Amino acid sequence: MDVLLALTISAVFAIGVFQLLRRNLIRSVIGLSIISNAINLFLLAAGVYRGEVAAYANAVGQRSDALPQALILTAIVINMGGFAMVLSMLYVLSVRYKTSDSDEVKGLTH
Amino acid sequence: MLACLAGAFASAAFTLVPGIKHVSSRVMGWLLAIAPVAAFVAITAQLSTVADGQALTWQIPWLPAFGIAFAFYLDGLSALFGLIVTGIGALVLIYSGYYLTPAHDDADAKSATRNADARFFLYLLLFMTSMLGLVLAGDVITLFVFWEGTSVTSFLLIAYKTKDEEARSGAFKALFVTGGGGIALLAGLLFASAISGSTDLTSILRNGEVLRNHAWYPVMLGLIAFGAFTKSAQAPFHFWLPKAMTAPTPASAYLHSATMVKAGIYLMARLHPALGNTEMWFWLLIVTGGATMLIGALIGLRQSDLKGVLAYSTISQLGVLMMLIGKEAPSAFKALAIGVLAHALYKGALFMIVGIVDHSTGTRDLRRLGNLWRIMPWTFAVCGLAALSMAGLPPLFGFLAKETLLAAEMEAVLPQLTRIVLPAITVLTGALMLAQAATLTLDTFVTRPGTGWPASHLDDGHAEVGHASHAHEAPAGMLLGPAVLAALSLIISTAQPAAIVALLAGAATAAYGAKVKVSLALFHGINLPLILSSTAIALGVVLFTVRRPIRSIPGVPALNMNRLYDGVLRSLDRAADIVTRTQGGRIRIYLAVILSTLFMLVILFGNLGRIFSGPALPNFGMRLLDEPLNTASALRAFGLLLAVAASFVSVIIRRDLLAIIALGSSGLAIAVVIALEPSPDVALVQAVVEVLTLVVLVLALSRLPRAQRERAETLNAGERGTTARNALLATAGGLLVTVLCLYAFASRPRTSIVTPFYEENAKPLTGAADIVGAIVVDFRGFDTLIEITVFSMAGIGVFSLLRLAMKRRETASLPTEGEVELNAADHRPLPLLPSLTGIDGVRTSPFIRALAYVALPLTFMLAIVQMIYGHDQPGDGFTAGVTLSLGVGFWYVVFGYERTKQRLSLLRPGPLIGVGILLALVGSVAPLFLGGGFFSPFDFGAALNLPLPKGFYLSTSFVFEVAICLAVLGAATFIIDTLGHPERDLE
Repeated sequence: MDVLLALTISAVFAIGVFQLLRRNLIRSVIGLSIISNAINLFLLAAGVYRGEVAAYANAVGQRSDALPQALILTAIVINMGGFAMVLSMLYVLSVRYKTSDSDEVKGLTH
Repeated sequence: MLACLAGAFASAAFTLVPGIKHVSSRVMGWLLAIAPVAAFVAITAQLSTVADGQALTWQIPWLPAFGIAFAFYLDGLSALFGLIVTGIGALVLIYSGYYLTPAHDDADAKSATRNADARFFLYLLLFMTSMLGLVLAGDVITLFVFWEGTSVTSFLLIAYKTKDEEARSGAFKALFVTGGGGIALLAGLLFASAISGSTDLTSILRNGEVLRNHAWYPVMLGLIAFGAFTKSAQAPFHFWLPKAMTAPTPASAYLHSATMVKAGIYLMARLHPALGNTEMWFWLLIVTGGATMLIGALIGLRQSDLKGVLAYSTISQLGVLMMLIGKEAPSAFKALAIGVLAHALYKGALFMIVGIVDHSTGTRDLRRLGNLWRIMPWTFAVCGLAALSMAGLPPLFGFLAKETLLAAEMEAVLPQLTRIVLPAITVLTGALMLAQAATLTLDTFVTRPGTGWPASHLDDGHAEVGHASHAHEAPAGMLLGPAVLAALSLIISTAQPAAIVALLAGAATAAYGAKVKVSLALFHGINLPLILSSTAIALGVVLFTVRRPIRSIPGVPALNMNRLYDGVLRSLDRAADIVTRTQGGRIRIYLAVILSTLFMLVILFGNLGRIFSGPALPNFGMRLLDEPLNTASALRAFGLLLAVAASFVSVIIRRDLLAIIALGSSGLAIAVVIALEPSPDVALVQAVVEVLTLVVLVLALSRLPRAQRERAETLNAGERGTTARNALLATAGGLLVTVLCLYAFASRPRTSIVTPFYEENAKPLTGAADIVGAIVVDFRGFDTLIEITVFSMAGIGVFSLLRLAMKRRETASLPTEGEVELNAADHRPLPLLPSLTGIDGVRTSPFIRALAYVALPLTFMLAIVQMIYGHDQPGDGFTAGVTLSLGVGFWYVVFGYERTKQRLSLLRPGPLIGVGILLALVGSVAPLFLGGGFFSPFDFGAALNLPLPKGFYLSTSFVFEVAICLAVLGAATFIIDTLGHPERDLE
């Protein structure tokens, strides 16, 4: 299962990178979200225990590792905030440059 | 002692008092002089203790962990410099008051400059504080802080006329050189303190033996000397000082002659007992000082600006002092102490005289000045006295300084070569000094304008300027400073007050490190120094008489440090330009470069070889097979494959909207994988967040003009070359991540240290059965508080960013013609009743509307249940908040923006966020007052005896969950609101 997880994570990551590098900024934003999915998956897989029951104190059996789960929880929330920020930037760009093509965003040239 | 520093600082702050504008600058100068006078008296009071070689120390702990203290140290050397700083400081402050008052009464100009005057006094006093701190510092870090303080205040004073291009560039030059030296000095001082084991000055002075024999001694000395040489304008770093003459003259007199430029001298003299008496020390200081002395004197004669003459003669004198520190003889340190005081007295006086001349005639150009003695007889007299001292004529103090200097140069302990070369150049320098002193006095006050200058150096208009018409004698208060200093030059050498002798002896002793006797007898009988001195005088007179032919010799285009400096700065600019040119403005290219650099770094430094050689591989095989094939694992494999497939679909599909939906399903597939972990809490959050992301993305997309969206979609086909490059980069990244993942998974430990702690303590400590929830809300509660703050900030950020963007569009750019049409097409007015139309004015079906009515209360119930039972069951405050905002988002879509606002009038994002974060803070602080701890689990219900239903606990975690829910609801509503309707101006 670890191998499958590793392959999945890297496939999702690679797809995210590809999307991120595209000219269409909407796709770049999608790519960002995909990369964060890959990272969350990695955090989950990095946990020590493969549990049989959820991490509840009253559960009987091998519990899943609670620590990475708490970390992912935080990561998801922050990702969501950052994602909203990026989206609003996308909108601002579209207002200022009348485009969502990254090559037409020329504000950085001198 | 500290009181002195504090006093100077306080009076600096005093100049900021707004009412100060009504006090005239003259009065202010007198008032402010009280602080340095008090400090002067305070140091004088300690003189008797200090003079016989004792040192007084004070300290305040500053960074005790590093052994750094705010320490002060007063011995003979500090006292000499401290007295110069405060004494001349007081005189300069009084003088400044007159200098700043315009010569011609002009009411408008007066009120306009009043503010600027306060600024000048502020800088001057700040400098005084720094300088006093520098010479009194008893800890090298304290010393460095004050050292930098003088550099910064010097910068501010040089650039005081901020509108003057030359002043700005001069100030920058000074800061560049002295600041660079300051950094070297810091490194050198840190070396010294590391080797001696303490930053304390006394301990460094005590460990001289260790320091000198250390392998790093040359580096340390080089760094410290570099700092001192740049500060004290030693060749070849002297070039900043003449350019610093753009400062107002009182500042030049004070900083760039009497005090700040002597900081380097002070430093070297201070550290001489610890670092001196080595070959390197000797040659470094002798050669630098000697060269500086000669160069300064030679260039000085050719200057036509009065302040230029003084600047170069200051450089020359600084060279003399630096050279003296290099010599290992008591007489050298005697000469040093006398030289420091003599120079401060006459040069300070001369600078102030130049200021008076400038103030009254409006020019400092020697070629235009002349014949002033009738108009300004008193100024002339004072100037003459000071110039006699500068020329080194008996019976003035300057004569004594030169005598002792020559005597020191002929000490038998010095190498033969230097015993011949040094007196020779000293005689030459002395002669040049005399010629310059004569030029200053005679060409300004006695001869006709233009005398002593070759015709080629004179413009036609120069000679006949009628400056004398409005020239006038300076007010008595303005003459006070230079007169006192010049008189002291005379009194010290003739009356030889015992206090001064003791002070000089104390200073020389402290710098030499052993007892030095000082006597101020003017006449020692006919001896070699006297003969040499007379030679210098004779030669000087000759030089003065032939000054016109000398000046007509074309200047030697020697290595010009100014040109070098300009060259360095220009090439820096050019290099920066070239670097920025490589950035073509294409974001994708930047991103590709950044990513490939990242991958390269991992490949190069990641030590990937370990993975294939270590224990990873066998372990890894076991891991591959240890999972029994059952429903759960099959389902998990399915979830993973689904995630990959959905992500892949988001790449190949052409329509952006569909790609977004593919992204959503990929996220949900990952939620399934998480749920199978099993980890219901995270899966729940992942699912709701994924849906929220979807909603927000669709909203944002729908806000983009349709034509633009369609244009963007045509890009999705991609160009072949770019696509191949991106695919290559993506594949590289993917492979890298595969390797890293496999290694990470194979080498992870079999047991965790942290997790068992949480598992054991979650229930007893926090009362929560849900371990993940306990970690988030209780164990790492503070972290979560910050996290929801960040999330709220993101919401507020989205709001302000979009509102700002919209404002810009309204004011800045007019829509193009095509866009107007587009907008018209997008917002076609629809004649429907508001309640029947949803977002974008699209008609919604009654079924959906009915569903919305049901859904919102349901989400409320769901949220409340999650908050109450969150600590025992799946779900938490965050999920509750997102669920609620999804319900609200649904309403936006179904009923439209206006209608939703109207109906849910209580739903106001700003207050929600505020209340949420406040509640979290109160909830975490309140237990402090009820017998609990900050951020510790606490049951309010039990503590306050509230009649609560059984099984319901009003605990900190519950309060926290509610707070999170409110804040998240607020932020999410902000996001949905503004992304959905950026055009609307929220009232």
